[in-house]
Amino acid sequence: MVGTRDASLLPECTRAWGIRVGAKQGTVTIFLSKTIVGKTIENLRDNGKIAITCTRPTDHITCQLKGQVRNIKPATSADRDVSRRWHSEFMAELKAIGVPSALSQAWITEPAVAVEIAVTDVFDQTPGPGAGGKIGP
Amino acid sequence: MRKASLPLEDLWACFQGIIPAALSTCAADGTPNITFISQVYYVDSKHVAISFQFFNKTHRNVRENPFACVVLLDPRTLHAYRFRLRFDHSESTGPLFECMSLQLQAVASYSGMTDVFRLLAADVYEVLAVERLEGFTKLPVPPPSERSSRLFVDSGLVSMRVISERLNKAQLLDEVLQVSLQLLDEQFGFHHSKILLADERNGKLLTIASHGYTENGVGSEVGVGEGLIGMVARARRTLYLSAMDHGLRYARAVRGRAEALGCTETIAREIPLPGLPDAASQIAVPLMTRDRLVGVLAVESKDPLAFLPRENTLLTTMGLHLATAIDQLSRETDDAPMDRIRSATPIPASRSGLIRRFTFFQKDDCICVDGDYLIRNVPARILWRLLKQYRDDGRVEFTNRELRMDSWLGLPELKDNLETRLILLRRRLEQKCPEVRLVQRGRGRFALEADAAIDLLEKET
Repeated sequence: MVGTRDASLLPECTRAWGIRVGAKQGTVTIFLSKTIVGKTIENLRDNGKIAITCTRPTDHITCQLKGQVRNIKPATSADRDVSRRWHSEFMAELKAIGVPSALSQAWITEPAVAVEIAVTDVFDQTPGPGAGGKIGP
Repeated sequence: MRKASLPLEDLWACFQGIIPAALSTCAADGTPNITFISQVYYVDSKHVAISFQFFNKTHRNVRENPFACVVLLDPRTLHAYRFRLRFDHSESTGPLFECMSLQLQAVASYSGMTDVFRLLAADVYEVLAVERLEGFTKLPVPPPSERSSRLFVDSGLVSMRVISERLNKAQLLDEVLQVSLQLLDEQFGFHHSKILLADERNGKLLTIASHGYTENGVGSEVGVGEGLIGMVARARRTLYLSAMDHGLRYARAVRGRAEALGCTETIAREIPLPGLPDAASQIAVPLMTRDRLVGVLAVESKDPLAFLPRENTLLTTMGLHLATAIDQLSRETDDAPMDRIRSATPIPASRSGLIRRFTFFQKDDCICVDGDYLIRNVPARILWRLLKQYRDDGRVEFTNRELRMDSWLGLPELKDNLETRLILLRRRLEQKCPEVRLVQRGRGRFALEADAAIDLLEKET
């Protein structure tokens, strides 16, 4: 899930379809489907500030990344492969906690834009009293 | 232009905590934050609540910058809904907090973490807008009204719950009677109501409480089988008249005329049943418990369509709760320890300079106050005893137990209905002599308070 904000600090929230850790240290790329990211893309072009939280449904292991956008480009075929692989792995996770695959299969993940982010902070967000602790970079 | 916001009532499936939601906020310095939350709670059509368990960034952010954005998924289809929120306030007591807290505790108890998963507060947010994320899934949107009634409870049912809870808590018979009529007014808007208790021995019903009438009419009687109330007592079924027969109004008009003309001889010692001269509809509900008639609840309205099958069902259900409460609290042998009662207390000087004269007519077994009929039979004897002890011994506090032991009062040994008789006496005094009051001091105890000097006179006839 992705959090951004506009010039008046109004927060926005949307879902990304996959994340890839970049070859360059301290960068990640997320994939946002064009249909649902209007305001998010506007915000990213305006100020580039972004928060991303990633969770594994089966054990709730969660981390939050904060960072600054480097660039926004249409997803390449290589990006599509990553996003599709993520989608099928995530579906398996959801199936394990009882969400029928027919539901997660129906998500519209393409066409997507690839957003590259320079990560500035990483926080542990696994539910519990220790949540919020900074763990990186 | 922003699309019209979706009603929260259509999104009932999203509020069940089945799929975690994502919540984004923004710090005052412009750093966005995003986190998963286990459940968004529906509060009302304009508010949702989020549990606050740990001090975290979200908690701090919304106190700096109150705006938040939540994406919720419908667990049936995984459609996504985006809520734009503004932090409104935090609750750490009250029904919403207790409900959320209890739910968390129950979940936590499964993992033995009740101390860790403690709700600190329910953070309530105003919902500014709700939109569905079009293009999120290929599945069709499920019909919004499919099962919405399961989340959004009918207002009548909510009222019934409030009434049941309140009746269930009441400790005293008088409290049950007053509270139930008050709640009928508050919860259902029925402004004119009364409760009559069954007097099986004499085949009569006795008005014990009323609400919304200028004369409380407590002590008035209706014969079983007489009129709507009497018929309901006999048939033991709720009955309502929607466009009320002129007969009742006619009878009341005759009475009003007789009173106006001063023909008081015939009615002097009969208390009129409280009623609206222009009632357009009336409902009477038998108060039954364990298949026994305890009394009748009667409600009147000026609206000819006030009572329909829905009201019939609600009032009949309420009648069952009321009957059980009345039955239980009339049976209690409510004895306060004697030693706690001060045998003599100085009578405070009358503040008003007023004198009220009570006359006890031995032959008729009744009391008049300044020439007006007040009460007769057992309650009259009770009052006479209290007033004499007040005057002669300076007694102001009394117990039900000492009345039960006084053979002059003539209370039957079984089922003496003492509490009922005291309520009757209390209401009659309120009506005819508000300067003298019987004030309940817990179960089985009461005090006599007087703002007037009391003069007592006893006559044989």
